Amino acid sequence: MSFDPVVRLADVTRVHGDGPQAVHALRGVSMEVAAGELVAVMGPSGSGKSTLLNLAGGLDRPTSGAVTVEGTPLTSLTAKELAALRRRHAGYVFQDLNLIPSLTAAENVMLPRELDGVRARQARREALAALAEVGLDEPDRFPDELSGGQRQRVAIARALAGERRLLLADEPTGALDTPTGDEVLRLLRARCDAGAAVLLVTHESRYAAWADRVVFLRDGEIADSTDAAPETAR
Amino acid sequence: MAIRQGLLALLSMGPRYGYQLRAEFEASTGATWPLNIGQVYTTLSRLERDGLVAPGEQDDQGRVVYSITEAGRTELERWLSTPVAPSDRPRDELVIKLAMAVTARADVRPVIQAQRTATMRALQELVRAKRVNGAGAAQLLVLESMIFRAEAEQRWLDHCEAVLTASPQTQETQT
Repeated sequence: MSFDPVVRLADVTRVHGDGPQAVHALRGVSMEVAAGELVAVMGPSGSGKSTLLNLAGGLDRPTSGAVTVEGTPLTSLTAKELAALRRRHAGYVFQDLNLIPSLTAAENVMLPRELDGVRARQARREALAALAEVGLDEPDRFPDELSGGQRQRVAIARALAGERRLLLADEPTGALDTPTGDEVLRLLRARCDAGAAVLLVTHESRYAAWADRVVFLRDGEIADSTDAAPETAR
Repeated sequence: MAIRQGLLALLSMGPRYGYQLRAEFEASTGATWPLNIGQVYTTLSRLERDGLVAPGEQDDQGRVVYSITEAGRTELERWLSTPVAPSDRPRDELVIKLAMAVTARADVRPVIQAQRTATMRALQELVRAKRVNGAGAAQLLVLESMIFRAEAEQRWLDHCEAVLTASPQTQETQT
């Protein structure tokens, strides 16, 4: 494992709204994910898991504190620069996949790369490579023609195409049965072992257990982590 | 204890020596259930007494090969087709600890969190064991069973935390 953090959050807070209605989604969270590391975030609903993921991927900005992706502090960036950095370095997998039904698997994977200015031929080459890597051999099928597990593979391939090595996954095992869910984690794990940094939000401990480190969030703060030395046995 | 029936299941695939039964039993249960050779022979002699297995001739090293009888096959089928009743589990220390913490009005949340982290570490170990290539199908099923149990414990802890946090009775004792 390398000591090179792909993403780092330093004393990050996020407050939604202000005055008496203000909601403190995160209160001074510090953490980092290194290349080759899989970190899982668990916590009850409302504990700040998704806010944390959105901040780490530059989809949202902190109220205070700093987020650094691949050495670049996000606070200094304009909205346009932030969008470019996001597309270049970060991939997202969400529970509701967001695959476009009228595009084939390969076209879905190509889309963000084409938006980033990559030529269609190269984008297709990258897409086929990414799909082969996640073990999908039907690149020209439409999402409707694929099983839940296969669709999830497409979403992961889309998150990985190009040279992105930060992968953010929000409940990627959503409604999948446990063997298919395990298959998704096996893929994420393989990407990690190949040098990606993966931040996974899940409420299912069986999937969190695939991580190198599990962080427990509660009321916007890190309550505990499997990193810390075990305090006492049962 | 299912050692009797486990041995019958192995013998249903063909006659075996005692030491073979021990090795195959452990391989199937992923070494989560170690048997000593003495247990194997004690069980075999009881099975023989009950007419469920029959010993063969001693070989020149003094080893005896055992075969399953017709009655043994019937017993095995009966066992496989009968659901397991919730047994007298050994009293669960964690359940008692939480119940006592609530009764004594201690702050239960740190107890829950410490347990959650410890159980997660155990779960990480189980997943690591599962990821290692070469585990057999039976071993994987045993590991999965332990994973589902650990998962159930985590869900129960989440439930306890949610319920206790919501109840004013316990909030009084928390700062």
